[in-house]
Amino acid sequence: MTTVSAHGIGAELPAGFEAHIYQRTATGVEQTFPVAHFATFPIPPGTGDFGGGATTLMGPADVFVVLFEYGPDSLGTKLFSAQGMPRTLRPDDIKAHVLRRGIPGQGGTQLFFTEGNRPFTLYVVVGSYTNRAQPVPKVNDLLGAIAITPRPALERTAQAASPGGAAGAAALRAALAVEQWN
Amino acid sequence: MVAVVVTLTVVVVLMGVLVAGLLRSHADILRSLHSLGAGVGDPAGAAAGGEGTAGAGHPHAVPVRMGPTLPSERGSDAHDVAGVTPAGDALAVSVRHAGHATLLAFLSSGCTSCQHFWDTLSSEGPTGLPEGIRLAVVTKGPELEIAAEVAARAPAHVPVVMSTEAWSDYEVPGSPFFVLVDGTSGRRVGEGVANHFRQVADLVRRALVDGSGPSPAGGGARQGRGAGHGGATGRLGGPAREAANDAELVRAGILPGDPSLYPRSLQDVFQGTAVGAAPRAPRPDGTA
Repeated sequence: MTTVSAHGIGAELPAGFEAHIYQRTATGVEQTFPVAHFATFPIPPGTGDFGGGATTLMGPADVFVVLFEYGPDSLGTKLFSAQGMPRTLRPDDIKAHVLRRGIPGQGGTQLFFTEGNRPFTLYVVVGSYTNRAQPVPKVNDLLGAIAITPRPALERTAQAASPGGAAGAAALRAALAVEQWN
Repeated sequence: MVAVVVTLTVVVVLMGVLVAGLLRSHADILRSLHSLGAGVGDPAGAAAGGEGTAGAGHPHAVPVRMGPTLPSERGSDAHDVAGVTPAGDALAVSVRHAGHATLLAFLSSGCTSCQHFWDTLSSEGPTGLPEGIRLAVVTKGPELEIAAEVAARAPAHVPVVMSTEAWSDYEVPGSPFFVLVDGTSGRRVGEGVANHFRQVADLVRRALVDGSGPSPAGGGARQGRGAGHGGATGRLGGPAREAANDAELVRAGILPGDPSLYPRSLQDVFQGTAVGAAPRAPRPDGTA
């Protein structure tokens, strides 16, 4: 079984899956966070975070799964209030209208959650909405094999505090903890 | 007379010391063998169970330590490739259960012979590979390669995996080295060394024409991957394989009676390794 791990995301890949776990280089004041792609077809280099350039290559039985991490500012918000990554999907969870880029015939789902102090979205695309029951077990095998390393807890008060003084020091410590973790 | 007696006495004493030393050395050897459980020369063993066997009441397990395994024949199993990218991200390329053929190019950043392949791949020009063959570059891991050097050479449109384990899995003798994997069977169907991409493309093309070769792109079942080479050859045998070979030769312009079918020297065989690249000899009827 092939094992991949980077940026606090790891998986023992089920047969037929390949993966790319990366974090884009930040430019300017931009902050980037880890992204993981899992697919049952060759993932082209340069694939967009949500599958741009890849989902058009999918066959009817293929699946494409994205784990996209958001910044710590999203922690505690209502959108990410679900705790723990979904490990099981049902065929009914796959919809034809939630795809970021609607490709006729495909289906997908997008779920938001927090695991290990890390806010994520899980984005799943299946090659055929009509035959969505067929690839869902493959997706579930993958979801059960993914491990997320918890991020060191950050004090939200420290994030909100302005630099300087004790609060500033706390924010710096928190930032360093994140830096070391990365 | 006295001198002779003294000399003989000294010699006898020395011989006695020598014999005593040899007996002691022999005893040490027997003791060591006994401690290893061999039971050689063990009087108790000889009495109880015959010569050379351990006593029935004191079975001795002979400890066997396995040394390094001997090099075996080259395997044909394929392995998925997992490692890191030159940027340090994780990347896993699936070559088994893939439904398409994958060509793994084992390259190094430091080998002179590899530079041509890096340049060709980075140019994004046609590589000559049959359509539907997936290409992936594999270098050794960051512990044996300089990631920045690999990054400077890495083509943008071909996945580059840094994995020493993959080099070990595929028993790569050196770089450049190429392995063609049939994703359907999960086996290697061709491997070898080449100096030019034309030779690699030729190697792949031969594997496809051969009955044991893979069918690219899963027989064209996937969307947007091209129809490939037709994938019709599959695993042929007997007359079907001969007919497929004849058809392939005709497609390449090699008709019955072509001089290239009747080489008279090694030079005739190796004058053109790339299909269609070498000048063709005139046919007996005078046509080009």
